[in-house]
Amino acid sequence: MTDIIKDAHGMSDTPEEREFELRAHIGSIWSGGRLFIGMYTFLIASLAFSYFYLRSSNNGLLWRPDHVTAPTAYGWAIWSLTMLAAGMAIFGRRRFRKGNSADWMVAGWVGLAAALLALFLQIWEWQKIPFYPGSSGYASTFIGYTIINLLTIAIVAYWLETTLARALRLRKELGGANAEYSMHPSAQSFRANVASMTYFLGFVAIASTLMFAMFYLL
Amino acid sequence: MTISAERPTEVDDKGVDPPEFIAQPKLRRHGLLGQHLGTAIVCGFLGYILGHWLGNYVASGYPYIANSGQNSIAVLLALMFMVLGWLIGIGALNYPFAKMLGREAKGEVEYQGWTRYFRYNLDHKVVGIQYVVGVLVFFFTGGLLAMAIRTELLNPTVHVFSADTYIKIVSEHGTIMMMMASSVVVGPLGNYFVPLMIGARRMAYPRIEAFSFWIFSAGYLVIFSALFFGGFPTGWTGYAPLQTQAGPGMISYLFGFAIISIGMMAAGFNLAVTIINYRAPGMTWSRVPIFVWSIIATAALLTLASPVLLAAGLFGILDKTVQTAFYVTEHGGSSYLWENLFWFFGHPEVYIMALPGFGIVGEILPVFARKPLFAYRIAAAGMIGVALLSFFVWQHHLFQSGINPDMRPLFMLTTELISIPTGFIFLVGMGTLYKAKIRYEVPMLFCMAVYFNFLIGGMSGVFLSDVPVNVTVHGGFFVLSHFHYTIMGGLIFAFFAGLYFWLPKMTGKKMNKKLGLWHFWTMFVFFNLTFFPMFVIGLLGQPRRVFTYAKNLQTLNDFSSISAFLLGASFLIFVANIMWSQFISPEKSPPNPWDSLGLEWQTATPIPIYNFERIPVIMTDPYHYSEPGAPALADFGEKVMAPNTSPPSSSTSTDQ
Amino acid sequence: MSNENSQGEEINHFRRIVYIWIALSVVCDLLFWFLVGPHVPPGRMTSSAQGDQLDFNILFVIGLPVLIGVSEWLVYAAFNWNAKKKDTPESVGGPRAWGNKRVEVSWIIVTSVVVVCLAGFGIIELVALQGAGGGEGPNPIWYPHGAIQAETAALAGTGTWSPNSNDVLPVQVIAQQWKFTYRYPTFGGFESSELILPDDTAIAFNVTSLDVIHSFWAYQLEVKADANPLENNVAFTRTQQLGNFVVRCSELCGLWHGAMFNYGTVVSQAAFEKWATTTEAANAANTKNLAPFAWTYVPDANGAAGGYYPDGNVTPYSPTEIYGSKQPS
Repeated sequence: MTDIIKDAHGMSDTPEEREFELRAHIGSIWSGGRLFIGMYTFLIASLAFSYFYLRSSNNGLLWRPDHVTAPTAYGWAIWSLTMLAAGMAIFGRRRFRKGNSADWMVAGWVGLAAALLALFLQIWEWQKIPFYPGSSGYASTFIGYTIINLLTIAIVAYWLETTLARALRLRKELGGANAEYSMHPSAQSFRANVASMTYFLGFVAIASTLMFAMFYLL
Repeated sequence: MTISAERPTEVDDKGVDPPEFIAQPKLRRHGLLGQHLGTAIVCGFLGYILGHWLGNYVASGYPYIANSGQNSIAVLLALMFMVLGWLIGIGALNYPFAKMLGREAKGEVEYQGWTRYFRYNLDHKVVGIQYVVGVLVFFFTGGLLAMAIRTELLNPTVHVFSADTYIKIVSEHGTIMMMMASSVVVGPLGNYFVPLMIGARRMAYPRIEAFSFWIFSAGYLVIFSALFFGGFPTGWTGYAPLQTQAGPGMISYLFGFAIISIGMMAAGFNLAVTIINYRAPGMTWSRVPIFVWSIIATAALLTLASPVLLAAGLFGILDKTVQTAFYVTEHGGSSYLWENLFWFFGHPEVYIMALPGFGIVGEILPVFARKPLFAYRIAAAGMIGVALLSFFVWQHHLFQSGINPDMRPLFMLTTELISIPTGFIFLVGMGTLYKAKIRYEVPMLFCMAVYFNFLIGGMSGVFLSDVPVNVTVHGGFFVLSHFHYTIMGGLIFAFFAGLYFWLPKMTGKKMNKKLGLWHFWTMFVFFNLTFFPMFVIGLLGQPRRVFTYAKNLQTLNDFSSISAFLLGASFLIFVANIMWSQFISPEKSPPNPWDSLGLEWQTATPIPIYNFERIPVIMTDPYHYSEPGAPALADFGEKVMAPNTSPPSSSTSTDQ
Repeated sequence: MSNENSQGEEINHFRRIVYIWIALSVVCDLLFWFLVGPHVPPGRMTSSAQGDQLDFNILFVIGLPVLIGVSEWLVYAAFNWNAKKKDTPESVGGPRAWGNKRVEVSWIIVTSVVVVCLAGFGIIELVALQGAGGGEGPNPIWYPHGAIQAETAALAGTGTWSPNSNDVLPVQVIAQQWKFTYRYPTFGGFESSELILPDDTAIAFNVTSLDVIHSFWAYQLEVKADANPLENNVAFTRTQQLGNFVVRCSELCGLWHGAMFNYGTVVSQAAFEKWATTTEAANAANTKNLAPFAWTYVPDANGAAGGYYPDGNVTPYSPTEIYGSKQPS
């Protein structure tokens, strides 16, 4: 089977049009990142609603008998690692904006490692839970929280990893130490992606803190 | 090699290919190799087997599974791996994996020829056509189930189905229809026409858009699989604890809704971002077509309400597999939790269904009335108002449920208030028709039917929103008729209006007018004959989802059933029209058969893959029907861009 | 019927439509109110039925002109505002076709006022009818006089009801898959499959379920309350006519949901007392074996069947103590 590549004959491709498309694309990354935060807020809010609703109903006096709590050591560890990942991204971006992309990359890899470790710990915690999943309302919402937390950290890890990989490939393709700062459209798109990702990780930091407080501190 | 020599490249690219989002689309000849529907089916099937085996391997040792003889975990894993296999098979996960290696989106092939409709295609027009087929498959499946329901209800004492089978049919009908209806306009017509209407050459996230279609079709497979797992007995509302009591078929429902919610989020996300960012130069918000306004309002609901459904479905799945107690009152959970989560999603869901219908009607009416859309700003404000208010009314589904009565007056007020922005649509329609010169083409007839049907549906909603009257009408055939009038009478009629209107542009072939008229009149008459008696049946005391009823209601039920059969038959006329006009004896359609001023009609037929040769500069809105010699809608040639487009100066200026 | 823009022609259309609309609306409203209204379901057997019937009629009388108006507009448009030349589209309306501030503002004001008034009227009816027969959950906020005392006494086992005393009669409705049964706490708490009620009495229905969600819909009594396990859903009404009524389940509860119905009767107060005391005596042996009267009967942390175990001093059980840290086998 031969592949015949034809020109898209007839489509105009002037610099102004390229500029327009580039600006639209960058804008999409900005809007998309914020919209994604909005969507994720509703997911987290559903979990929080379930927690507080079951807490106030206390059906059968089984919301949280004996004030049962999931293993707090794991909770602290997972929360700290998540905050580390988010913190690294925010710190890294600060350095990036000042022109120091090497710092950003190191921070990124540290953050990714933290996220992966948090993922592992969250799964491992399932073995250490001292209560049966259906034994109380707290237990049920906690299990739901672990699933949502896994999803969140997985998204964080994926976003970090793909951004870091893209940075590496940009350097290879565009060449030079400052490939990420060039005006090439790929580099511009990359910088917009870093910005959106950092925003999302900031949101994750806030949401994780609230969830941590709800399930481990309250 | 990728960019033809005649095009100048003034970008500082150091010899590297420009990224896909500003490169030309590359075209390839078609072939039967590569990833397509066939590979998706094979991989999905393999995934199913793998998941089922894995579930049995992992979970059959647990006592509660061994004792009950039903392995919900195997069912869940089978369905999850089936969907995963389906996505891998169609190629949806290729790019996400490539991203992990840092690869950017470029060098991906665009196929030509008929096989491109069976692939993971990034052209929004192809995705639109795929959705048309997908939506019609959903609709006809649900429709057959509806025929079965009405057959059972012909006689209160002679039963065609067992109670068990009947309840599964009812539940499956409702769920399939609701899943279909949430994408019936956004999917086919939204994806196809939004970029054309805003003067864009592509969507913001074409892969997310294609993903939404393939997840939507996977959702069909999952919900259909319920019939093979013994069905589910809860109706489309899935109330716990009946949900907890049910068998493995319930997993199909819960997981199916989770999958569909992901598809809805993807579709809404892509459309919202595209509309915000890809509007052509000159298209200010006051020049945006009303259909696009309705889509962006719908996208707001799709993106924000669906995560709640995802959470609700996730908790239900946990209850049934891992034995948590989210919805089990006796163990610290609450059946009200499901009700609240479900209806918090459920109410925006029905506005996800209503708003695109309003948009279509607003778009079509000016063309056939030859007048601009009356009070355009109020129409747009109405869309936004409905979208906003729809988050504040959900407890009107729960007035008699025993939840705290304090909030009842509040929710009665908000529900009544939402009829104000809904009424704006009627103001706009009536104003547009005032002293117009109406041409009675088939799309226009469907639009007028939408107004009539939604009027009845909407007014019956006012009765339901009033708490005292709600005691009479909740849970019976009155509310059933209300939502069939609004969703089927409003949305589905609008969908057909949009199809008849836009198919000549999508396929380049005219739809047969005579068959279209037959389809319209039979559908309209029999729809009303089917569902109007149901208001009376409901007032006379027949509950929903029952297989037997008071003997004195048999005449009305029979009248409704026979009309329903004829309504079902009317869709055969539509199928005949499609077959005849598109395949058997097609007639070419001119590029703008309705003489519309819309931007989407200013393209050639068939629309080239890049939509517009040059990015148009928009000069005005598309509703200048009332002035002969009206200003041109857009400038397609000389002036490509507005002035003032100097490239950004600082290196980090793209941070926003 | 042309659409010239001269002043005379323009007012003609609109005025014509309005006159027809007013005439049709008045006629249809009057016809409805006097001919159909008194017979609107669910009738007038109870205070909530009568109140909800009135509510329905008012809504209908206000809604009918809207229905007539819009349909008339559509039909008028269909007949009068057609394109002459079928194939060539003509432009219509000129610059004034874009909008009309006066029309828009009036529409917004009128619809808003009507809608808010309807909502207000609904709230008034809801309060005036003590919940209008709808289930208010375990802590009702709209209730007839004496209801709270009657309910408290019922739970304590000290409630009484006698004819001509204007007491509130508590009746418990127990829903299960797939039948309703009824308990009368003021008559020793006997359980019956029949629902007999006294006339001219305020009834407090306490609806609960033993398994899944059902819904107690006493059609002619105009009472609808969902039955939830472990919840007590209270609904009130006042009987005012004798006669039969039907009870149907109106929330899908499984296979035989469609067959979950029974009949009941409203009888005179004397006849009711006779029936209740006779049945109480006849069932005394059975009633001793039933769980003590409680609002709910599902096993929970307080024991099974609402305190069925004679020792009412059950503490919330701890799954860890019973099951340890492993799954139960």
